[in-house]
Amino acid sequence: MCKIRFHNTVSSTKMILYSLIVSGLFVASCQPEVVEVVKEVPVEKVVEVEKVVEVDSAPGSLVVYSGRSEKLVQPIIDQFAAASGIEVEVKYGKTAEMAAVLLEEGNNSPADVFWAQDPGGLGAVAEAGMFADLPADVLANVDSKFQSKNGNWVGVSGRARVIVYNTATIDPEKDLPSDLWGFVEPEWKGRLGWAPTNGSFQAMVTALRSTWGEDKTKEWLQGIMANDVGVYPKNTPQVAAAAAGEIDVGFVNHYYLHRFIAAEGENFKARNYFLTGGGPGSLVMVAGVGRIDTGANEDNAMKFINFLLSPVAQQYFAGQTYEYPLVEGVKIHRELTPIAELPKIDIDLSDLVDLQGTVDLLTEVGALE
Amino acid sequence: MIFFFRNTSPVKVVLWFTGALVASLLLLPIGYLLLRASEAGDSIWSILFSYRTARILLKTVYLAVAVTLGSALVAVPIAWLTVRTDLPMRRLWAILTTLPLVVPSYVGAYLFISVLGPRGILQQWLEPLGVKELPKLYGFPGAFLVLTLLSYPYILTTTRAALMRMNPVLEEASRNLGDGPWGTFWRITLPQLRPGLAAGGLLVALYVLRDFGAVSFMRYSTFTRVLYIQYQSSFDRTGAAVLALVLILLTLLVLFIEIRTRGRANYYGGHVGAVGNPIQIKLGHWRWPSLFFCAGIVVLSLVLPASILAYWLFREINITMSYSSLWMSAWNSLFASGLASGLVLLASIPVAWLSVRKKGRFAILLERISYSAFALPGIVVALALVFFGANYANPIYQTVYLLLFGYLIMFLPQAVGALRTSFLQISPSIEQAARTLGKNPLMVFRTITVPVSWSGIAAGIGLVFLTVMKELPITLILGPLGFSTLATSVWSAVEEAMFGAAAAPALLLILLSSVPMASIILRESLN
Amino acid sequence: MSEIAVRCEGLVKTFSDTGALNGLSLDVVKGEILALIGPSGCGKTTLLRLITGVAKPDAGSIEVGGRVMVSPERFVPPEFRRVGMVFQNYALFPHLSVAANIAYGLHGADKDDQVAAMLQLVGLSGYADRMPNELSGGEQQRVALARAMGPRPDVLLLDEPFSNLDSGQRVHVRNEVRAILRMSGATAIFVTHHQEEALFMGDRIAVQHQGSIQQVGNPGDVFGNPATRFVATFMGETDFLPGEVTAEGVQTEIGLLQSTHPVNVGDQVEVAVRADDVRIAPDPTSGAIVLTREYRGMVNVYRVRLPSGRFIHSLQRHTVRIAPATPVRVLMDPGHELACFINSN
Repeated sequence: MCKIRFHNTVSSTKMILYSLIVSGLFVASCQPEVVEVVKEVPVEKVVEVEKVVEVDSAPGSLVVYSGRSEKLVQPIIDQFAAASGIEVEVKYGKTAEMAAVLLEEGNNSPADVFWAQDPGGLGAVAEAGMFADLPADVLANVDSKFQSKNGNWVGVSGRARVIVYNTATIDPEKDLPSDLWGFVEPEWKGRLGWAPTNGSFQAMVTALRSTWGEDKTKEWLQGIMANDVGVYPKNTPQVAAAAAGEIDVGFVNHYYLHRFIAAEGENFKARNYFLTGGGPGSLVMVAGVGRIDTGANEDNAMKFINFLLSPVAQQYFAGQTYEYPLVEGVKIHRELTPIAELPKIDIDLSDLVDLQGTVDLLTEVGALE
Repeated sequence: MIFFFRNTSPVKVVLWFTGALVASLLLLPIGYLLLRASEAGDSIWSILFSYRTARILLKTVYLAVAVTLGSALVAVPIAWLTVRTDLPMRRLWAILTTLPLVVPSYVGAYLFISVLGPRGILQQWLEPLGVKELPKLYGFPGAFLVLTLLSYPYILTTTRAALMRMNPVLEEASRNLGDGPWGTFWRITLPQLRPGLAAGGLLVALYVLRDFGAVSFMRYSTFTRVLYIQYQSSFDRTGAAVLALVLILLTLLVLFIEIRTRGRANYYGGHVGAVGNPIQIKLGHWRWPSLFFCAGIVVLSLVLPASILAYWLFREINITMSYSSLWMSAWNSLFASGLASGLVLLASIPVAWLSVRKKGRFAILLERISYSAFALPGIVVALALVFFGANYANPIYQTVYLLLFGYLIMFLPQAVGALRTSFLQISPSIEQAARTLGKNPLMVFRTITVPVSWSGIAAGIGLVFLTVMKELPITLILGPLGFSTLATSVWSAVEEAMFGAAAAPALLLILLSSVPMASIILRESLN
Repeated sequence: MSEIAVRCEGLVKTFSDTGALNGLSLDVVKGEILALIGPSGCGKTTLLRLITGVAKPDAGSIEVGGRVMVSPERFVPPEFRRVGMVFQNYALFPHLSVAANIAYGLHGADKDDQVAAMLQLVGLSGYADRMPNELSGGEQQRVALARAMGPRPDVLLLDEPFSNLDSGQRVHVRNEVRAILRMSGATAIFVTHHQEEALFMGDRIAVQHQGSIQQVGNPGDVFGNPATRFVATFMGETDFLPGEVTAEGVQTEIGLLQSTHPVNVGDQVEVAVRADDVRIAPDPTSGAIVLTREYRGMVNVYRVRLPSGRFIHSLQRHTVRIAPATPVRVLMDPGHELACFINSN
């Protein structure tokens, strides 16, 4: 069989810099050692010195299945590859699809690591017993709320559920209610948007079910639907719709707004609102990572997971993707409300496992049509 | 079997063998679905047999029928205008009107909403004129509009090919019998185009069945959307498999309708084996309305999306873009699409040829099977191949070979449809004449069949090329590690609302696709 | 004995619809033009397809030029048979010029010369660069002929080659084609369903009906001495008069007729009577009456009802004018013996 060559899209302008660093490392290192890499973190304009990773003389390779998009995470993966010398190959797709692929592959999966957008995808793979247990010191980096109970996946970065509103028609101080329940009032008729098939939204509903109970949640869903809520396939068009004035309010994750503002400027006519009353409407969701038990590169997988929880990577999420870092001591983006100042809700993400119950409820009220 | 082969020419054996092989490979997804469906729990059955599902099923069929008719209404006039009339800049229109096929439906839908949506650009322009509200876009109108504008090229390509091969004597005869140009068009041309129309319409209908992007953006519930929810929300592969089998049943229904449309007539010209120079119809004072029609369709389906993309690109021109990765994606797109169109063409030849020349049950079955996977959403086909690839064909798993195989399963019907239509229009006596002149079947195929049916073959290659260019789920899931194409780059950027980053690969996608289309269309008009 | 160019033996081909063959045998002599005639659906085209090799018989054998093409053990594909074919629709390759069409089956360095020679033979020199769609029907016909004859096949098959031509061209083109075939000394099987065309073109005529050959012979034989009732019907406008065989001849409604066929006294027979054998003359006492008169230029054909209620046709010179409804006397004046067949009823 002939070998067909194709190009990998791993290169970026920063590659050269890292190659230089790495080749320098190779010259110096005959045995594993800890090196220091000077890194410039672009947004915060702070130079930090960090312990990055151990560089091995024969670094080997790593296969990552990513439910997170290439645009978001390839730069940080490139950093890891450059600093460690490990050849990282990534397969990108939607989290649900990547989870399905992993389940189909079973023990023959080439993947070492699954990096998912939401706990649902991680849970599906964990349930099939495909994740290895993570060491306690890795898990210790992150609040136990943001990891699996069995310790086979760990949160990497966080996003908060928020209300996105149109700045022309809404004054958040006086127009917006303090919790989600307020949106069932008839005054919101024709002004709301949601994305009921979105994983984060469904996680929020799962959280609603566990705090409010089935009946109240159902009542809320029906109330929102009675207000002729606009149905969107996902979060981004909802944010765009809020800015355009197509809707006044949408239930979304916080970071899309910041990307829109980055693209369209400060004139973008939408902003985020954190419900002052707290509750599941302010749920903090995570993107997380787990190691595939049958993966061939266990050491490199652990290096990668450690790297994602390192201050460099955490700083990247804070600065470049507008997410909440989950590790102590990393600065958040200046436009974000600190996670500690968010209204506290007492929910472990690993409790939000009854996805099917949520889907059934959404189906029952007709939200998925 | 030995008896069977004894007096059969080796070429025929090869044909049957390849045909049967292709067909059996195509059955892989169905095998996978049956396997998964057999593991399904009770809950899926209650979903399947619910009133709601029945309603969604009806809505799906309704949309498929409407979009197919709508596409025919757009495509047939354009095909006729660009082939048969003295429309100014015919070739340019022919190229431009094919290109909307490369616009991924989720991108198209997003762009349409940003222009025609409730608070879209159009509304903002019309606001000062006192227009408070645009007609409702969400729901059926939006889904219909986007799907029609993005999938009419299916019918356009097959119909153009059929028009070009049609024997003009028939039209002359009709004119001679006292029919005007319009009467001739309705009574002679259109019925002659039936196989081409049916083949294209089939592709449109099946495309609507499997589309996810446009319907989810436009808030129109179809069966495929329900199926995706199974994957997305419940991570339920078995339930999704049951639903996918229903989609296959729907496909069978559409195929049945198409067979009825196909009719039993032979479509090779009545007596002269040759295709004459068609009469070029002078448009006269219809010239401007015709131009306006073509231009309107091009503006709606191509210029509008492209200019919004261009606007995004310029708005964020300062964003550092990685040109090298853009070029690599472009190269990968061209490479995969080119290779896939070649492979699909090769595989479609025996299937199409057998179904046209050997009208036996097995040949028909073979051709029907080739359509079986076409209405399946890409994710289903991809997962089927992941299952077989990872567990039973590991050496080619996550290589370009399995990826190409995935494209083959998805896009074979497009080539079979186009090829079949053009083979139908070759009188068998032409091939027989070549045989009696001392050429073996392969040479006859090469020197007679291929050149004579070139317009159909080109249409098939073009369709496959364009659709592979924009293909997403199969490329993402089956592509080798790190394999990114323009389509995946667009998706990855749009997914994260990075529209500036999406604009460059999306525009490049349209631009690169136009090159092979232009060369195909320019070449056909030289012949 | 003359050399056999094509020998078909016991050919069987079954179809669900028309065109089947059941045990057909036929020999074609080298250098002759055999006109194969029969009604639509009798299997003429099927026979040609079997000889060219684009179809395969269920049973039987075919030899061409002394080589076995089809037998239970052997099947030679069309390209190795040296059988030329002119198709009813000409089947010119639409994407090739006239010269390229003719050159398609040719080999060798002198291909161009051969093409030029063929063009000259069919009178189309100067048409080399035309495309098929730029030719008239008759010209296309001649290109098809040149293309089929180019490789000098052992036998040339022509499948109703004139059926797409108008009647003016038809006479002209068939004269030309006959002359070309004669000139080249080719062996040809010429299929038609026109009696007149068969009589004109054929050195010999084979009449095919329901999948087998009914009669083969020279045109005069087949026309004048039909072997079966079907041949009599098909080769000319024939009426059948029932009669009884007596020692003097066959006694019929219109008198005593002489028959060529061996029959026994007392047999009930039908005599084949052609319109040109029948004379009529006005006779007010006669029970026969003219029903219609059909103009055919030089001759008129009268349809006459006999006293028994049967019909008979009579061919008269155009100068003879008898109005419909005139009672006429019917006379037989064949000048030759008539064919008669045992009445199966």
